[in-house]
Amino acid sequence: MLSELRELWAYREMLATMVQRELKIRYKNSVLGFLWSLLNPLITVVVMTIVFEYIQQNQTPNLSAYILAAYLPYMFFQLCLLDSAQSVLNGLDLAKKIYFPREILPLTMVISNLIHFLLALLVFFGFLLVIYLLHPIIVPFQATTVFLPVLILINLALVTGLSLFVSALNTFYEDVKYIVSVLLYLLFFLSPIMYFSETVYNAPAVKRHPIIFFLYHLNPVATLSTAYRQVLLAPTQVISHGQTYPPLPFQWGLLGITTVVSFVILIGGYAFFNRVKWKFVERP
Amino acid sequence: MSNTKGSAAIEVDAICKEFMLSHSGINSLKTMLAWWKKRKIEKLDVLKGVSFQVSRGECVAVVGRNGAGKSTLLSLIARVYKPTSGTVKVVGRVAPLLELGAGFHPDLTGLENIFFNGVILGLKRKEIQSKIEEIVAFSELDSHIDAPVRTYSSGMKARLGFSIAVNIDADVLLVDEVLAVGDYEFEQKCYRKIDEFRANGGTILFVSHHFASISRVADRCIYLKNGLIEADGPTAKILEMYKGLQSSEVVL
Repeated sequence: MLSELRELWAYREMLATMVQRELKIRYKNSVLGFLWSLLNPLITVVVMTIVFEYIQQNQTPNLSAYILAAYLPYMFFQLCLLDSAQSVLNGLDLAKKIYFPREILPLTMVISNLIHFLLALLVFFGFLLVIYLLHPIIVPFQATTVFLPVLILINLALVTGLSLFVSALNTFYEDVKYIVSVLLYLLFFLSPIMYFSETVYNAPAVKRHPIIFFLYHLNPVATLSTAYRQVLLAPTQVISHGQTYPPLPFQWGLLGITTVVSFVILIGGYAFFNRVKWKFVERP
Repeated sequence: MSNTKGSAAIEVDAICKEFMLSHSGINSLKTMLAWWKKRKIEKLDVLKGVSFQVSRGECVAVVGRNGAGKSTLLSLIARVYKPTSGTVKVVGRVAPLLELGAGFHPDLTGLENIFFNGVILGLKRKEIQSKIEEIVAFSELDSHIDAPVRTYSSGMKARLGFSIAVNIDADVLLVDEVLAVGDYEFEQKCYRKIDEFRANGGTILFVSHHFASISRVADRCIYLKNGLIEADGPTAKILEMYKGLQSSEVVL
């Protein structure tokens, strides 16, 4: 694996150029350009907020910020997997003609989506600032935000490992991308993005069997979603259906497990990718 | 290109390559799930133990009929495929022209594509920057270089691809089919550039069916037949033999 990493390092300029090309091409022929990657989550969150506040009667203050804090990382996760699923197949013509480390293809997708994610986070902070100017109660920048890079790093390890798996598998079995999109859909509901892990913690079934709370958070996306929320925003009381739940403390243990899982997936994904990458061009 | 002429630039040792053939898509989940159905994996031996060396500064043409394994051989040397057995050693930077302008993206401009092609061939951006004038001048595309490549004619694309490949100081050029491109004038310019490339110690291995261009540039020919080397020697002799064999096959 080390020799492969060295080889990848030697090709870093190609990776950088591929990322640049990807960013340039994606919005080259659209009028709003990069704005599209911000408009999509913003529109979603506006609709969600309306539904939750007025139809579901969720009275949690500043709800849209809490949804956005978990939804933006999820978008990053989802787009990385969907884009990299096709990446090797799309790059196969080039790969058949010339040698380069094949992992550059999925990595290009991960890095260009990471850049979109970072820009979306900037917009998120702008959004918090606007809310602060309207209601000067919720302070936009928390001291805990210094941990944000750590979370992004764990998230990046997880999504890179999975992207390597998915892109390699999808090259041989094109059903994989459909399976992935179904799993992503399920994952979205199985993670505290549109709701809070406080609600999960206080659910009657979970109260009876506290192990469920632990099992639920073995899903790295669930743990990361809550961690992003806690790092980016102040702890809040969750008020829904007339019930008020106090904020949960930061789950260090769960985040520790997620970190280990993410890096194991990263190493496993890279090892798997390297084992099969020579077969890509021989795909019948 | 510092080593002396005569040392090996390409060493191919007992190389074999087999491909899995599949008519029903062996690699689909469907066939994998239906594992109880007996499936037949057909294997195709494309190369069956090929060994040769190419010295620095030499220009070698590979000839043979379609399906003889010529392109597979080139791809193996370019590291696109991993050999089933045997080894390939190449000294220095390889510029494979398995297809001119393979890495061009239609929506990017000519200039952006030069950078993109350069980094795929393993150059640093700074190195490309220093060569860009040379590349553009050679391709004679100055007036179009800021237009997207999709607006180029196929001749223009070929010219740009060739200019990049010969101007990046590669040690070994691998060429499939297209050696000299463009109109007559430009073709002559390509040949002159190739001579210059070789005079500086560059090595060329190319596959072609075009006897005139083989006679023009190659000092040596390798005749490949059914995955084995049938003959290896001076161009004139091998071409004569190849032509003779082909016409006798036609009679049969």
